[in-house]
Amino acid sequence: MIIERILIALLFLSGFAAIVGMRNIIKKIFGLNLLNASVVLLFILEGSRIGNQAPILDADITNMVDPIPQALMLTAIVIGVCVSALSLALAVRLYKATGSLDIQVITERLQREH
Amino acid sequence: MKKLELIKIVITVLLCSLLVVPIILSNHSWPTHARNYLLVNAQSDTGATNTVSAIYLGYRAMDTLGETLVLLVSVTGTMAILVKLGKEQTDEETTSFSLTPEKRPTNRLRTHLLETVASKLGPIVLLFGFYVMLYGHISPGGGFQGGVIVASAIVFLALGTEVKSKLTSTFVLSRIESLSFLLLILASISGVFFESGFFGNPIKSASSLSANFIILLNIIIGLKVGTSIAVMCIAMMGGSHDH
Amino acid sequence: MNILLLSLILALGVYALLAKDLLHSVIALSAISMLSALLFTILRAPDVAITEAAVGAGVSTVIFVWAIRHTQRRDKEEP
Repeated sequence: MIIERILIALLFLSGFAAIVGMRNIIKKIFGLNLLNASVVLLFILEGSRIGNQAPILDADITNMVDPIPQALMLTAIVIGVCVSALSLALAVRLYKATGSLDIQVITERLQREH
Repeated sequence: MKKLELIKIVITVLLCSLLVVPIILSNHSWPTHARNYLLVNAQSDTGATNTVSAIYLGYRAMDTLGETLVLLVSVTGTMAILVKLGKEQTDEETTSFSLTPEKRPTNRLRTHLLETVASKLGPIVLLFGFYVMLYGHISPGGGFQGGVIVASAIVFLALGTEVKSKLTSTFVLSRIESLSFLLLILASISGVFFESGFFGNPIKSASSLSANFIILLNIIIGLKVGTSIAVMCIAMMGGSHDH
Repeated sequence: MNILLLSLILALGVYALLAKDLLHSVIALSAISMLSALLFTILRAPDVAITEAAVGAGVSTVIFVWAIRHTQRRDKEEP
């Protein structure tokens, strides 16, 4: 159990490092996606520890998995894709306005226009 | 200067890990009260045997309302940014993946393989999406899942055929989305008039029909999610010039 | 089995961030979605698995490919 948690923590930190460190905007959005994926994996992994049957109520079910993290993560996945779509539209708009995808070049060109 | 940037990134990641890693690695025992309660009472409270559907459509339906609102806002924002983009590039039709092929002189983006596979698979996936939407209360599935599959099917139909049909025009799809959001608000208020609170089940007294409210909510949410994501994808592909 | 899938997801994630061709990164993200869906099925969460598979393969990849198409495809290092 501890090894899986360490792997998920590494995934979270690599997504965070991509948002802070990469110079390309599209790579930053990749990092946001990875961050989302790591949190969803963590919740479902933790919720599945207390049982070993799927949460559909049949006739003779006794030991089902916790269904509450799964219901929360359904909403989280859809919201994650909405945030990705909006930020990608903004990134394409910035590229059309300044001609580059590098964040420092964009900052310089936008400051020069003012 | 590259070394300085690298040191700054490493210090930031270390500070973040100081906050986050103890939370991820902590080993408390997961509580089981909620699972035990739901094992016994989920079917009699809401009428659904799929406990995940019972949670996000029965016990915590406010989260679903908020999530549809987030979808509406993000699709509106994306379309507002894209429409301005579309007006600027009416000259470079050679690179946009528009729905009519006579405006793309040089590169043939729509090959025979894509046309055949996408147009033949589109109606089958649409039928499967409606099946997943309608059986959400007794098997895995429901409003969100069926809605996203319906959105994929509409994108297949838009990619596969050359004829502009009403199902793949952004005008009709955005009207369906607004209508289903209105129906969702009406369905949530209807519980107030029948004495079961906001988002309550108005037909709770008839014990054999109480799952119908969940089926109705599944259909409304599925239509909303499906058409909103389909509108966003079709507008991205360049098909929003027709209004 | 969980550990194997999680380590594959981590390796694909790091590859997606370090690749020079952005289309390769998009394909790696789509593969991460598929492996996550498989992991959710193993962990007894069928609703989340259907949602992750449909969203990851259908919607998320399409919008990323659209964004790369309208900007650059290679990650040029400008000095």
